[in-house]
Amino acid sequence: MSILETRENGLAPGTDPASSPRRRDRHAIAGLRSLGTRLLTAAGVVWAAATFTFLIQSLLPGDRATLLLNQLNGQIQERTAAELAPINEKYGFTDPLFVQYFRFLGDLATGNLGISYQLHKPVTEVIGDQIAPTIVLTFTSLLIAWVISTLVIVGTAKRNRFFSSVASGLEALAAGLPQYWLGVILLVVFALNLGLFPVVGGTGIGGLLLPALTLGIPLAGFLGQVIRTEFESGMDQPFALTARMRGMGDTGVRLRHVLRHSVLPGITLSGWALGSLFSGAVIAESIFTRPGLGKVLVTAVNSRDLPVVCGIVILVAVIYVLANLLVDIAYTLIDPRLKKS
Amino acid sequence: MSTTTLTPGKPGTNTRTSIASLLGGIPVAAVISTAVLAFFVIAALAPRLLTGADPLAIDLGAALQAPSSDHWFGTDQSGRDLYTRVVYGTRESLLIGLGATGLAIGIATVLGVTAGLGGRFADGLINRGLEVLFAFPVLLLAMLFVTIYGPSVTTQIVAVGLGTAPGYARMIRGQVLAVRNSGYVEAAHALGHSRWRVLRQHVFPNAMRPLIAVVTLGVGQSIVWASGLAFLGLGVAPPSPEWGALLDAGRMFITKAWWLEVMPGLAIVALALAATSLGRHLQTKLEGSQP
Amino acid sequence: MKNRQPAYQPTSRSKTVKVGAAASAAALSLLLAACGGQTTPAANAGTGEKVDGGTIRYAHLQEPACVYGGWVQQAFLSRQVLDSLVSQTEDGSIVPWLAEKWKVSEDQLTWTFTLKPGLEFTDGTPLDAQAVSDNFEFWQAGGNGTVQAHIGDYYSSSRAIDAKTLEVKLSDPFTPFLSALSQGYFGIQSPTALGTRSEAENCEAPIGSGPFTVGEWKRGQSITFNRNDAYNSAPQNAKHQGPAYVDSVVWSFIQDNTSRFGSLASGESDAIGEVPTVDFDTAKSQFDVQQYLTPGRPVTLSLNTVEGPFTDVKVRQAFAYSADRKAVVDSAFLGVVPFEGNGTVSSSTPGYNPDVAVDYPFDAAKANTLLDQAGWTERSAEGTRTKDGKELEVKIVFGLNSIVTAEGATALQNLQEQVKATGFKVTLVPATQAELFSGQFSTPDSYDAQLGYWTSPHAGILHINFRQNTEKKPNPANTTFYNNAEIEDIILKANSAKTTAEANKLYGQAQQLLSDQAVAVGLYTQTSSVASNPKLKDIWLEASQGEPVFHDAYFTE
Repeated sequence: MSILETRENGLAPGTDPASSPRRRDRHAIAGLRSLGTRLLTAAGVVWAAATFTFLIQSLLPGDRATLLLNQLNGQIQERTAAELAPINEKYGFTDPLFVQYFRFLGDLATGNLGISYQLHKPVTEVIGDQIAPTIVLTFTSLLIAWVISTLVIVGTAKRNRFFSSVASGLEALAAGLPQYWLGVILLVVFALNLGLFPVVGGTGIGGLLLPALTLGIPLAGFLGQVIRTEFESGMDQPFALTARMRGMGDTGVRLRHVLRHSVLPGITLSGWALGSLFSGAVIAESIFTRPGLGKVLVTAVNSRDLPVVCGIVILVAVIYVLANLLVDIAYTLIDPRLKKS
Repeated sequence: MSTTTLTPGKPGTNTRTSIASLLGGIPVAAVISTAVLAFFVIAALAPRLLTGADPLAIDLGAALQAPSSDHWFGTDQSGRDLYTRVVYGTRESLLIGLGATGLAIGIATVLGVTAGLGGRFADGLINRGLEVLFAFPVLLLAMLFVTIYGPSVTTQIVAVGLGTAPGYARMIRGQVLAVRNSGYVEAAHALGHSRWRVLRQHVFPNAMRPLIAVVTLGVGQSIVWASGLAFLGLGVAPPSPEWGALLDAGRMFITKAWWLEVMPGLAIVALALAATSLGRHLQTKLEGSQP
Repeated sequence: MKNRQPAYQPTSRSKTVKVGAAASAAALSLLLAACGGQTTPAANAGTGEKVDGGTIRYAHLQEPACVYGGWVQQAFLSRQVLDSLVSQTEDGSIVPWLAEKWKVSEDQLTWTFTLKPGLEFTDGTPLDAQAVSDNFEFWQAGGNGTVQAHIGDYYSSSRAIDAKTLEVKLSDPFTPFLSALSQGYFGIQSPTALGTRSEAENCEAPIGSGPFTVGEWKRGQSITFNRNDAYNSAPQNAKHQGPAYVDSVVWSFIQDNTSRFGSLASGESDAIGEVPTVDFDTAKSQFDVQQYLTPGRPVTLSLNTVEGPFTDVKVRQAFAYSADRKAVVDSAFLGVVPFEGNGTVSSSTPGYNPDVAVDYPFDAAKANTLLDQAGWTERSAEGTRTKDGKELEVKIVFGLNSIVTAEGATALQNLQEQVKATGFKVTLVPATQAELFSGQFSTPDSYDAQLGYWTSPHAGILHINFRQNTEKKPNPANTTFYNNAEIEDIILKANSAKTTAEANKLYGQAQQLLSDQAVAVGLYTQTSSVASNPKLKDIWLEASQGEPVFHDAYFTE
């Protein structure tokens, strides 16, 4: 997905304007910023995402009450005012938009995400039922991407020109694979024809690998491209040289010093990747018949189930905010120099 | 992208090993990539040079034929020649790729430059805005957009362009900040050059240079993105041979007519790979020629 | 698991591959099409002896939001848990279900149903005449819009004469009344459940008296139906009375065609619905396949008769003549789904008029003459006909994946290409579910033609689709916007005819008149199908809408 690409590109300058010390200063300051400010920013992000979703969904063409009634009856037709009145009253669709908006915000502030128009269940329950498989999928994909990319890089970077260029070519290839195409081919080859995995994913371990690879392989390509550059320059740095002079073996240097130096941009990328992985989950869940939030989201957008759409957007925003908090923490853990300043 | 890549004013410590560097000075990968891209550009501008058939002409008697000397990529469920469709589909796909990337960079330049030069307030405001956009699932944005305006090439361009703009904006902002604080800009200021002149002559060109590489990367990725939308039924309307639409239509035949899914997919991969590869090459070149 | 057969037969792999790209793809193709060591459970081995109990794993295409409702996708689910008053058989006759007998008054306005004795809902509420009457009132109050579309204009009142006797009063005679009642939408629910439970509960797990009860619904995955051990009200056309043989049915939702069929081939499912057309032949050779042609309105192009080029009857007729629709459909559906030339009623509907289906064969000469007469005489550079500088452009709207399948979309593309020759420029507009259901494409200014179907076990569907759309009495289900008092009158006469034979004759007349006006151009029949493992016996497709019935199904060794 291109957002990875752009974010990857955005990554270095975004966190590293001008020079390395500057980046570290910024992060050090960020790390010390009071928890209150952080929470406030997070709340702002969530509020804005929710408002945006509310506005878009409310302003979509077509009548929401008509949609609900038609969907219930499988018909595509105009409806009379009399038919629509009870629905409009129930959901307050005819109230002025700002009244609806403040009602929506009020509910949101009290943690009430509303009741699904379609499923007639509280949104929190709808999300609660489906969140686990999606979280498992996204984090497994992230893990797979890290394992693949670090293995390839530690194994090939700066070791042998040939392997190194082949590996970097493969990274570019992986990054350019349409997830959806990759998923369909993995499904047909490994589940349908070779019978190694169940055709219907479900939530079991056996059904997890193929969808996770579908999302993980392209991401591994992006991660690989980012980490490789850092890794290769790290191999020439004085600290790598010093370590070698102290008698450390090549693999030791790679793992203990250079890798540690080079994963930082990869970690930033991972924080951003979570949002994109969620988008990818929509596709992987459809191909592999996996339950999860992605599928719920597509259905909800299709049926204009505003409370569910908003609930999921808010959830993704929260996860994004949390993930980037974790990224900052990971930074200080991996690069102890950041703590000092 | 590496730190070194985007640090202007310093000769690039270019240690990238690429297939190109294998054969001494001849950038094999770049040559191949250019050839592949040239093919697609011809396909987009003058498809008739590459195929004599009509991408829409149906032949119900010749449906679902495997690749052969008559039909290099086989035929689809309506007996249309798939090779011809892939060739003709290049125009729309490339248009989506270029259009979306162009739109994204356009938006991003305005936001990024404003944030980078506009002082603390503008910077803070735009940064917060970008933060929100990042937290917003891009696919959802695209889905909502297509739902409102209906599926077409234009909506695909706008949906993908809007979705990817924040990433570029953040990058441009970083570049602008970096260039602004670099020695030669300070020197130009010290020489008494006007603010506008410094901006035009120094900041802008230097901040934008890395974008050339990014554009080539983004084009392939935008096409990949659009194919994801097509999968969700939000692609370009039939009978368009846009690649994402071809992929979507081919899925149901994958066990019976693999070529319908595999061939358009390979076209996307080939374009994305060629663009990425050339982008890297250009980037390497540019690193070496910085002021 | 004795015979190891490939699940998929590659169509052809031996052709010469010329291009480099194609050559590299060939390696991948081997993996995609290869006959891997797949074992199919379709073995004929085993003793064939009946096994009691077990769980049927059935995979279905679409997942609606609720089990009960007025959409055919909901009827598929509610059929498993709700019983109706009567049941329709394959030949169109009506047999007892919850009602063991019935009679109608001389004036055909009063229907008296006698219920089977000892009926009970699964929540313990007695299923008596009052309960059924409550259901009629629930439907009329908006509980089911499709029920209202069928009988709303005729139903007047209902009451329980005694516990077993129900009286329904109609405002006008309605010949297809019993046929309408046999549909899943008319499933009888526990009035206690309707009255006391939350909307969510009644949506997810309606309480009926059927062979199964709704167990857990894992959204996006499956619904489990558990056996109702006290079941004693199977319809007369069921293969046995008493509780179901199997313990439960796990009804999963697998949208992807390849995966759904793959799950049957790999043994992960015992039966699947909506057998993909590409896999139909494979399915027939390895599994038990049943196909049902849905009665009612076939999948048909409703032409907009009040705005745009199709206001002119000559243009409508020319459009119908312009394409070899049979070839278009046969090719798109690989011969699995039949062409239907009749645009108003499908071939499996009692009262179908077969003459209408051949009214508009492919005839380019006739089409050209008609268009010339209609004044579309000039041609643009692209070959599109023009009149007063306006192109003969036709916008066809269709609900891709919600109403029209991918094969249907292919058929439309074939049609689009064929009608080019006579000078039509067709634009295809695939509409999303949200656009369709929110009424964006329901108004006369939003399309020139619209592809859709409407299931109904009787030809009274004509009344739903072609009753006049007037200001006083709007009929939004009239998607052609065609108002014709004479035709409406014939349909009303048919609805109120004394005998079914007489009704069908009148329905036939109405179809002919509508066909003469070419207001709807037929394409193909809506179908439903089931493929099942040969070890699983006696699944059947009920006759009103084609829902699979699992009550009689059992496994063999």
